[in-house]
Amino acid sequence: MSATAARPATARPVRKPKKASYGSRAERRFAFLFVLPAVLLVLVFRIIPLIWGFFISLTDWSGLGEAEFIGIDNYAAMARDPNFQDSMVNTFVLLATLPVWIMLPMLLAILIHQGVPGGKLFRAVYFFPAVLSSVIVGSIFNVVLRFDGSFNALLGMVGIDAVDWLGNSSTALFSLIGVQLWATFGMSLLIFLAGLSTVSKEMLEAARLDGAKLWQIWIFVVIPSLRPIIEFVAVVTTIGVLTNMFGLIYVLTAGGPGTATTLPEFLIWLEQGRLNRPGYAAAISMVLFAFMGGIAYLQIRIMSRNANI
Amino acid sequence: MKKALLAGVGLSLLAASPALSQTITVWDWKSGDPVAMSYFDQAKAEFEEANPDVTINYVMQPNDQYYTILGTALASGAGPDVFLLNGGAQARARFEALTDLTDLSGDLVGLEEFQDEDGTVYALPISIQGFVVYYNKALYEQAGLDPETPPQTWDDLVAACEVVAEAGSAPCFTLGNREGFAGEFILSSLAASMLTEEQQQAFADGELAWSSPEVTAILETWVSTQDMGWYREGANSTSKFMDEYEQFMRGDAVHTIGLMSDIAHWKQFDDFLGAENVGVFRHPAPDMAFDEPRMPVSGGIGYGVNKDGDNVELATAFVEHLASAGPIQTFVNDAGVVPANTTVDTSGLSSPSVISILDWLEPYGVTTAHANVTAAELTEWQRQSQLLLNGDVTPAEAAARLDEVQAEARSDD
Repeated sequence: MSATAARPATARPVRKPKKASYGSRAERRFAFLFVLPAVLLVLVFRIIPLIWGFFISLTDWSGLGEAEFIGIDNYAAMARDPNFQDSMVNTFVLLATLPVWIMLPMLLAILIHQGVPGGKLFRAVYFFPAVLSSVIVGSIFNVVLRFDGSFNALLGMVGIDAVDWLGNSSTALFSLIGVQLWATFGMSLLIFLAGLSTVSKEMLEAARLDGAKLWQIWIFVVIPSLRPIIEFVAVVTTIGVLTNMFGLIYVLTAGGPGTATTLPEFLIWLEQGRLNRPGYAAAISMVLFAFMGGIAYLQIRIMSRNANI
Repeated sequence: MKKALLAGVGLSLLAASPALSQTITVWDWKSGDPVAMSYFDQAKAEFEEANPDVTINYVMQPNDQYYTILGTALASGAGPDVFLLNGGAQARARFEALTDLTDLSGDLVGLEEFQDEDGTVYALPISIQGFVVYYNKALYEQAGLDPETPPQTWDDLVAACEVVAEAGSAPCFTLGNREGFAGEFILSSLAASMLTEEQQQAFADGELAWSSPEVTAILETWVSTQDMGWYREGANSTSKFMDEYEQFMRGDAVHTIGLMSDIAHWKQFDDFLGAENVGVFRHPAPDMAFDEPRMPVSGGIGYGVNKDGDNVELATAFVEHLASAGPIQTFVNDAGVVPANTTVDTSGLSSPSVISILDWLEPYGVTTAHANVTAAELTEWQRQSQLLLNGDVTPAEAAARLDEVQAEARSDD
């Protein structure tokens, strides 16, 4: 027994619990200085442009001269605009494929983690496309997917007729999604691999000792352990596909045929750059921002709820 | 005292420096093009020699992002002193930012695409642009066609394509419509001959609807060419300026609708196929409004002066020089441009194709349909042209959608 422990409990008056101290006022001010640059950057380059964009969305500004306030006319026009509606339908189709964007890298990561032969090589190969810019990826797949391209040549060797993957209205969007998936799943795979390294070895060992089969270990131990990672990948992937596909669309399909591969971000560029309608483009931007904000909020709520379990 | 004097001189020099040395910033998407460089260099050298205190600074912007970057710069008040523009919708959208150059346009043609309804000219065209059909004479011979008698009527062209199809060596036309540009070209090529001059003007003014029998007939003709098998499959995933012309230049297609100036034109094709192997004719059409096909022509590209720039007077002088006979002569000789300046001597151009094109310029003035519709209509037509090729919509459905866009765009004017 230590001397401290031997000391009678009454020797020192019991203190009332104090509010947590976060340092002196001077320290707090000093800390504020550290966050100030980041706050200013966000304010100047994010918040103020966002507010400015909202005000532009309420005008008919053409980019030149005076802007006339037109209230919610741009938003009303959006509701009538079939091109905007098509771009939102395409967005929902894209989001409907989200399970594939999560399942594919997760399953491959589990296989690599299980120690399949050549795992390190596969990891490097899968990750390689993630370092390529979307323009390079687009240029590569332009050659691969064109009507007289290598993919159709391969299909021809097994007796399948050629398809205009990028020029056909029913295949263009899925071709685009496939290319984007190829280009980006390596990053998700790395995140899953990092997550897998945190799965409790004791739990895996216990499951084995209890006689669980491999698939049972995956379903009942590994995947539940990866739940926070799955949710994180879901949020990051959703934001990524809604905001980072412009380059690929631009190079591969230019939004066509028709509006088959037009997503809101491409439409924003078209309205602003080619049609000289920054006001309308700003209105679409606001809707896209609200849409993404809503989805991200829902996903984060789900993540937070699960974190409390 | 000495220090004070030196400081005074220094301050005076600083204050006087804008007058001592001025820079005119010029934006374009062409000044880095090797074949056009001699024109830009000559204009700069001559102007700087005549104005020793002036420096011309060309800034080449990426072609495909040009109007986005320019729009942002003008909106923020940081636009260049001088900028290059395509005639038609893109120029009209920026008249508000441009200086009146009407007094400098005396020797120029192709002004319509750079002037407003009152006739005020906002940019000086340096080239005129239009569409013709180029054909590969060697492939004509291989197919059994006479390379010296190209099609003059729609029936001639249909018959020629049937002969080409029977020969089977190459598609009748190469087509790149990934961006909808082939749709633009065919619209202007057919409208030039299928619409009367009054109808062309009414279409340009938004008074002739896309669903009118005359314009719908153009859409139907476009679909009929696809149905007749004139094109290789995959046109909607083939880019026009990268792939279509490459196919033509390597002899993989018999015809292509090309430009008369600047790019994708006779000089480029002559260089690849040999001038003796390149033929040219005006695109015929069914139910032509004239005795013979017309060539759609308009002001090509032109320079405008930013009215909010710091050096409007000098910038205007430089634009006048850019459009003047001296530098343009070099542009014509080296880049194969058909000039907007009527005082430029084109007699030195020896290519058989350009000699034909220059002959067809008289009388000047068959409007270029795609350059005179609104940007919104043009973009929607690009989309609809793809859907028509795929068979996803009928000409009537496409025309109905284009009517909506036309009505909305014209109501905004």
